Amino acid sequence: MNCEVCNLKELEVGQYEIRDVLRCVLHTIIFHRALGLVRPKEIDLELFDITYVQCGDPEVEKKIEEKIEQFIGWVEKHPNKKSQICLSFYEVKNKHGSWFSKQIEQLYWEHWYINLNVAQQPKAHSVKSHNCKVVDTGENNQEDTGTRRAALEASLRDVLFQIIRFVNDKKEHVPPIPNREGVISFPYEIILPSSSDSAFGMDMIKRMLQTGHPTMLS
Amino acid sequence: MASSHSDSAKMEQIITEFFAKSLHIILESRSPCISSRNFSGEHIVSSPSSSSSSSSSVRPRDKWFNLALRECPEALENLDFWHQSNLEPMVVDVVLVKRVINWDPANFYPKAELFRNLSSKEVYSNCWNSDQEELGNGRSEKIIERWIVQYEARKAKDAGKGSKRSSSNVLSSIYKKSILLLRSLYLTVRLLPAYKIFRDLNLTGQIRSFSLAHRVSSFVEPFTRREEAEMQRFGFAPVDTSSGRLCLSVLYRSSLSDVSSEASTPMSPQLIPDYVGSPLADPLKRFPSLPVSRGSPSSLPFSRRHSWSFDQYRASPPSMTFSPSPTHSEPYASASNPSSSRFPPPGLPPHPPEVSHAHKYNASFDEYYPSPTFSPSPSPSPPIYVPGSRLSGALLRSESAPVNIHATKFLNSPTLFKNQNLPPSPPLKGTRYGPSMADKSMYPSRDGATVDKMSFVRRDDIGRPSGLKIPSESSANISYSRSSCRSFPDDFDESEYTCAFDVDEDDVTDPGSRADLFDKRRHAHDPLQSGSFMPIRKSQGAAVGALVDMLKKAPPLHQDVSNLATASQASGSETWSNTFQEYCQTPKSISAQDGTSSVASSAFLASKTTADALEELKGYKEIKNLLLSQGGTGRSRSVTNHAAAVESADEGTVKF
Repeated sequence: MNCEVCNLKELEVGQYEIRDVLRCVLHTIIFHRALGLVRPKEIDLELFDITYVQCGDPEVEKKIEEKIEQFIGWVEKHPNKKSQICLSFYEVKNKHGSWFSKQIEQLYWEHWYINLNVAQQPKAHSVKSHNCKVVDTGENNQEDTGTRRAALEASLRDVLFQIIRFVNDKKEHVPPIPNREGVISFPYEIILPSSSDSAFGMDMIKRMLQTGHPTMLS
Repeated sequence: MASSHSDSAKMEQIITEFFAKSLHIILESRSPCISSRNFSGEHIVSSPSSSSSSSSSVRPRDKWFNLALRECPEALENLDFWHQSNLEPMVVDVVLVKRVINWDPANFYPKAELFRNLSSKEVYSNCWNSDQEELGNGRSEKIIERWIVQYEARKAKDAGKGSKRSSSNVLSSIYKKSILLLRSLYLTVRLLPAYKIFRDLNLTGQIRSFSLAHRVSSFVEPFTRREEAEMQRFGFAPVDTSSGRLCLSVLYRSSLSDVSSEASTPMSPQLIPDYVGSPLADPLKRFPSLPVSRGSPSSLPFSRRHSWSFDQYRASPPSMTFSPSPTHSEPYASASNPSSSRFPPPGLPPHPPEVSHAHKYNASFDEYYPSPTFSPSPSPSPPIYVPGSRLSGALLRSESAPVNIHATKFLNSPTLFKNQNLPPSPPLKGTRYGPSMADKSMYPSRDGATVDKMSFVRRDDIGRPSGLKIPSESSANISYSRSSCRSFPDDFDESEYTCAFDVDEDDVTDPGSRADLFDKRRHAHDPLQSGSFMPIRKSQGAAVGALVDMLKKAPPLHQDVSNLATASQASGSETWSNTFQEYCQTPKSISAQDGTSSVASSAFLASKTTADALEELKGYKEIKNLLLSQGGTGRSRSVTNHAAAVESADEGTVKF
């Protein structure tokens, strides 16, 4: 089984746009991989004239929201850094390994890299308005924000189409749909840059990137 | 062999269902007749763990491709009509339909969906009623998307290609891929520009000059080269099957700018005041309107309302060109459109003073608006005056009433003015009239209620220009001739026809100093006065309205006052008359005899403050209470008549 990797186009986002952008991208990917019976849920982004689709699973939504919060926290600690979020899908296999090893193995079959370049414009313009996430600061740079946001919207749309294309072009590697109930057919994980609990995951990713394959093939 | 046969049957079924699902997905997000977008949220399976139970509620159709969609009856109907064979391509054209301005407001429905099937079966259907006429009448169509779903069968010799794998695996793999394809289709339809139009139509309750339609057919109606140049193509990766492949592609217009400009215009907020003000003709609609109109996706009547006013706005360009906003133009437009059913006396001869009415009205309004009393004043009066739905009408009227009196004065008794040197008014007259035109631009900026009132007044003013004459007629009996302004004989019939209360609406304007409070007081008195007065001439009920009117309109106020006094005495209410006189300083002032008082009153008016206004208001209330306590049948009837006049629906009751 192959492991496909999709590197999404980098998006330049303002801090206050992270939420919308990540929601949109993550849900869109997961919707494509939620191959159980889905009742799609359309969501209009707040900042952009874009409608995306959720798979309607509250657990998914919860997880995504959590991850976004974590990521925003990370961004605040690491300003002006490009960052990458990885959404991975895997299969779980029971491993007939030695008695002391883990009995469960994660077989990754797909990684999505969401590349964000979080810009710090608000801070540049008004240093103290740190907590101004929703409303842009200053009326004079409102125009800037408008054009920038329009550009971001276009890029975001591009990214969504990139996802759709990828899904269309690469179908063979998707595992057979497990015969189980539920919206989510495959386990997944969202890995943020250097968040403490995902050190192992990052490690995994690095290894996988080096080899181009999941480390464990059945 | 049996298994392969069943496999191919399954394959057939998958293909068939694929067509159906694709169509469903496309139409679900392109056909605005389904008020859709809220739907999905409610039906989401609440938790994955409980999914086993939830699956029982799933319709069989939803299970296909594991994608549960909203009901879209159109898609199903379409499919039935279209679907003959999997070997035929399915072409879904999404058409942008622009309505051109000349709709008939009466017949207009929010018919969003003009749904035509152009295949050989040629089916025409529609999710709501649609007349054929509407199709031909002033529409322009433009294909903005063309979806092509197709199954390309391979030649027989290639058919065995997938046979190495077990057929069940092949099937499930194909099925999985088609699921993926449909997932991305589901997303794509929402990313294409046409979705904005769809969403827009849904959000606005389909009140637009455009809508979306679709055609499903099995052949491709070729585009012109130019059209094709404007289209972009997005092809989904085909799904290979054992005997062919499933293809899905879309040609779409990447830019829908011609629509988007219109789409971005928020219509509803502008229409609300208009809407509220307009339904003069049928007051029942007045009340539900406001709450409903805010952003709700449209009940049918509501939409009709909208469309109606919208139509008015467009179809009959305001006779007075200076009014920029729909709010304004609508009443004016109605004026220019005397045949409109809303105006009960349809055959009224056009009156030259129309414009001047408007002027005056504005002038008076100008006067009123800044006055602090203006906004608070309506609120206290309603409970006293009118029960139920007429309340607002009464309110409105009470607002307008003052205006009338003055206007009448001005119009009809120019001599009076000159002779009696009404202090404030003559100068005002000069100044106000000019600016009044410009003043119109102020209206839209006011809050809805105000606008409402205003438009109400204005409509009456313009829509029933003859009204003015009526009071003059009636007042002529009482006091003196106003003939200087108009030709009465023409209008005389009308005065019979229209109810007295109509009359006082039309005329407007006190260029002068009158505070609305005074007028209201008068207004409050009116019923009583009329009650007492009327018996002289007519049946009480009918007469009441007329009298009130007369009294209000009668320019020579001193005479009015005396009459009033008489009336009040006749009715046996000394107190009342006293109060009345006390409060009606202004009317007196106008009278020639009472020169001093006039000056005093004008000064009083000039210096009026909010506090004063409040005081006056209190006085007004007192009077009303008095009236209430006194008021016999005559009064209540007059109120009724009053309301009726406002509605201008049943004139018969008030005839005299």
